[in-house]
Amino acid sequence: MLSAPRLAEEASGIGALGIDPWSLLAYLVTFGLLVALLYTLAYKRILGVLDARSGRIRDSLEEADRVRREAQEQQEAMQRTLLEGREEGQRVLAEAREAAERYREQQATQARAEAAQLIDRAREEIRQERDAALEQVRSEFASLAVSAAERIIHRSLDPDAHRDLIDEVLAEGDARAGRN
Amino acid sequence: MKSRLILLPVLALALLGVVLGPIGAKLLGFERLIDAPAVHLAPQKIFAIGGFTVTNTLLSAWLTCIVILLLFGLGSRRMAMVPGRLQGFLEVLVEALYGFIRGMAGERYARRWFPLLATIFVFVAFNAWMALLPIYPTVGFKAEGADHVTTHLLRSAGTDINMPLALALIAFVFIEVWGFRVHRFGYLREFFRFGNPVQTFIGLLELISHFIRIISFTFRLFGNMLAGEIVLFMMTFLTFFVTPIIFYGLEILVGGVQALVFMGLTLVFAVLAVAPHEGHREEHAEAGQH
Repeated sequence: MLSAPRLAEEASGIGALGIDPWSLLAYLVTFGLLVALLYTLAYKRILGVLDARSGRIRDSLEEADRVRREAQEQQEAMQRTLLEGREEGQRVLAEAREAAERYREQQATQARAEAAQLIDRAREEIRQERDAALEQVRSEFASLAVSAAERIIHRSLDPDAHRDLIDEVLAEGDARAGRN
Repeated sequence: MKSRLILLPVLALALLGVVLGPIGAKLLGFERLIDAPAVHLAPQKIFAIGGFTVTNTLLSAWLTCIVILLLFGLGSRRMAMVPGRLQGFLEVLVEALYGFIRGMAGERYARRWFPLLATIFVFVAFNAWMALLPIYPTVGFKAEGADHVTTHLLRSAGTDINMPLALALIAFVFIEVWGFRVHRFGYLREFFRFGNPVQTFIGLLELISHFIRIISFTFRLFGNMLAGEIVLFMMTFLTFFVTPIIFYGLEILVGGVQALVFMGLTLVFAVLAVAPHEGHREEHAEAGQH
């Protein structure tokens, strides 16, 4: 049965507490040994592991911070590059547009110049054609005039000898034509 | 529904305990089944080695030491970065105690004070907790003609005044040594103040208070442990079943609290001892002004 032993307490007062120098010494030695053994066997190791782990966690956090910073810097650099690329692209596009515009203007100017040249050339050709036609008409007219005069005067005229006369007639003819 | 099924037999058992115990015996008029427990303060002799007597409390203290050493030894044998359960438990305990000490004493003293202060906690707590095992009040020796155990093989070391007294002496020496170590002879100026009768008296009171700590440390732990033991005995005697469980729970708490209080007070007094005291504070203040 559960029961505490019933013992007669021989000592009284403070003596009843059972203070014993040898027991006291035994507890002191026991506790001292326990401290020494726990320190050697356990505390050093456990605190060492806790220190190592906290150091590792600190290192990992610092590493994570460093990686995050680097990633952020890389992202910023990438965004800067992207922005620069976009700006460069826009600049190139603008330059291309400007070049195209310039080229178009140049081509238009050139086309206009060529057209003007063509027109001038055509005019020149027309003028030459007209002059040639006029020359031919004049020649034909001279021949006709000579033939007509021969018929009128019944004699043959020397075209070279009467060149002055023919030119005079033609000039009169031109003068008449100009009046007309 | 399920909880009621469990609760009813428990209540019935508790009632049966009260009926069978001395209360029921008195009310129903039958002879009580067990004798009333007797309180005896001094530990009991188990055997002697030469002239040295080994008491049941000392034996219990040694057993506690073995358990503590086994627990800590096995738990910290192969320390891994990813801890197992036992290592994890020990790490939590050590981390908590170290954090407590560091919080009050700072990093400077925490590492040096930790082994002693942590051992105070572990030793006091484990002594109290192990005494709650059923072998403590049941295993022992019968005197000739006795029908029950008259000498217990094991008894909580905290209930032997020699154990709290030994711890109190260790705490006292620890505090004073550190005070002297930090302040050298200036530490004595705290106690021996001359020139002003009031200051002399205060110094004397301070000196007495330091020695009084030995008594207060001793009797606080001794009283609490012994009272807890008596309460458990009395509740077991009065109610037999169920009800003592509540007090067992209380004693688990008391053991932890007393261990923490003993360690905490030692820590606080040590912090006060190493802190700059009045003379030093004035010197520090003067140094600060310059």
